[in-house]
Amino acid sequence: MQSEPPKEITDYYKHLALFWTDIIYLMSNKPQALASTGPMRAFAANSKKISAEMIEISQIMTEFNRHLAEYYKQLTETWATAQKKVNLKAPEIPQDIEQVDALKRIWIDIFDNDFTELFDSEKFGKNYGNLVSKELELTKHWNNITNVILQSANLPSKEEIDEAYKEIHSLKKRVGRLELHLKKRGMRKNAE
Amino acid sequence: MTDDQKKTPLLISYALINRFHILDIHPEKSWVRNLLKQGFDIYMIDWGTPTSMDKYLDFDDYVNGYLDAHVEHVKNESSNEKISLQGYCTGATIATAYASLHPDSVKNYIATAPVIDGWRDTTVISNLAKHMDVDKMVEIIGNMPPEFMYYCFSVLKPFEQGIEKYVNFFRNIDNKRFVDNFLRVEKWLGDTPPIPGELFRQWIKDIYQDNLLIQNMMHIEGERVDLKKIDMPIFTQVAVGDHLVSPECSMPLHYAVGSEDKTLRMYPTGHVGMIASRLSQKRVLPELGRWLSDRS
Repeated sequence: MQSEPPKEITDYYKHLALFWTDIIYLMSNKPQALASTGPMRAFAANSKKISAEMIEISQIMTEFNRHLAEYYKQLTETWATAQKKVNLKAPEIPQDIEQVDALKRIWIDIFDNDFTELFDSEKFGKNYGNLVSKELELTKHWNNITNVILQSANLPSKEEIDEAYKEIHSLKKRVGRLELHLKKRGMRKNAE
Repeated sequence: MTDDQKKTPLLISYALINRFHILDIHPEKSWVRNLLKQGFDIYMIDWGTPTSMDKYLDFDDYVNGYLDAHVEHVKNESSNEKISLQGYCTGATIATAYASLHPDSVKNYIATAPVIDGWRDTTVISNLAKHMDVDKMVEIIGNMPPEFMYYCFSVLKPFEQGIEKYVNFFRNIDNKRFVDNFLRVEKWLGDTPPIPGELFRQWIKDIYQDNLLIQNMMHIEGERVDLKKIDMPIFTQVAVGDHLVSPECSMPLHYAVGSEDKTLRMYPTGHVGMIASRLSQKRVLPELGRWLSDRS
């Protein structure tokens, strides 16, 4: 497993990058304001947000790569162990016309057993959970960047779209319940 | 398909993974056809394909909304006060919650490989589910994407399923019957819809992470799902070689319900083998048919 960079160092570089982003933003803000005459003015003003997201992404990338390396390390080690077991077993197989099939069967059984044991283990579950979690964080920052672009083009952000979906879901639910209620009442009346 | 028509129809609540047509995948292995021949009127639910707009659909929508509406429809069509209900896999989790919350509508309940006791589940799927940050997943991507589920399936017996299965296919490439069957199942395997985000969140948390259902502590729209309230005849079907829902995960339902008339059957097959195989035609379905006939 790769060693994690000390938190002070990553924090230091993060703050340094944010400091320079601020400086560049301040320096470039005036000319941008003069040069921007249309809807891209919002994009220019929000470009700092994109830089900040990119810095966050690079920090998460380090952690993502660490978990990805561990993921492949676990797979490689399991492969090597399983192959060793097959190698030990291979000489015991009778040398006849069914030898290839028998070897394949042993290979598949041993590999399936060893890999299932790995996928079922706490260490795999934990690392895989972290790997997916980091991938989701990367997606989140990508979503944030997309939101900046969407807003600069006067389009609704993901949160605004989600809000509309939530409202539609709630309305559909209420209408569905009312319809079912009326149907049940109608059936009861018919039965009477 | 027969003159000996049974009075009570059967509604099947299929799983949320892959599509319902596995229950009618091939004329010789069809669950539906077999039961029709035995005189049962069959209704089956297609949960459809959720889009981004459906990310807020939750257990309440599926149990008290969709399933309840289907039950009412079948009751109305068949002029019955109560119907028989069957749930398969995750569809059985939904049907179990329904049988507990609406026992007055269910005459008989059949739970086929139900996902019930997440902590006892010994499968790889449960290990992945237990370590999943489901809140983050739902917040960021909304619905559970099919691609992620394909990954989860790919770690189940990866070498048997990823190599041996296809070697066997090429060995039998001249066997029309084999190829036809193989392609039907393969097409079914590669077609799974997304799972609505909120439903997925509650499923992972309440079943696999906190294991609330078997402890009678799961809530749907504020109402507690009490398995003791399942008091109708219940038939639980479990596959010994199930590597998606282990027998230890399904069997606790049999002991947790309030029914006096309850039957538990274990079959020497796998998760799909239980519903679409020669064994299901020769053993699982005849037993189920006899059990249902006595109560229909």
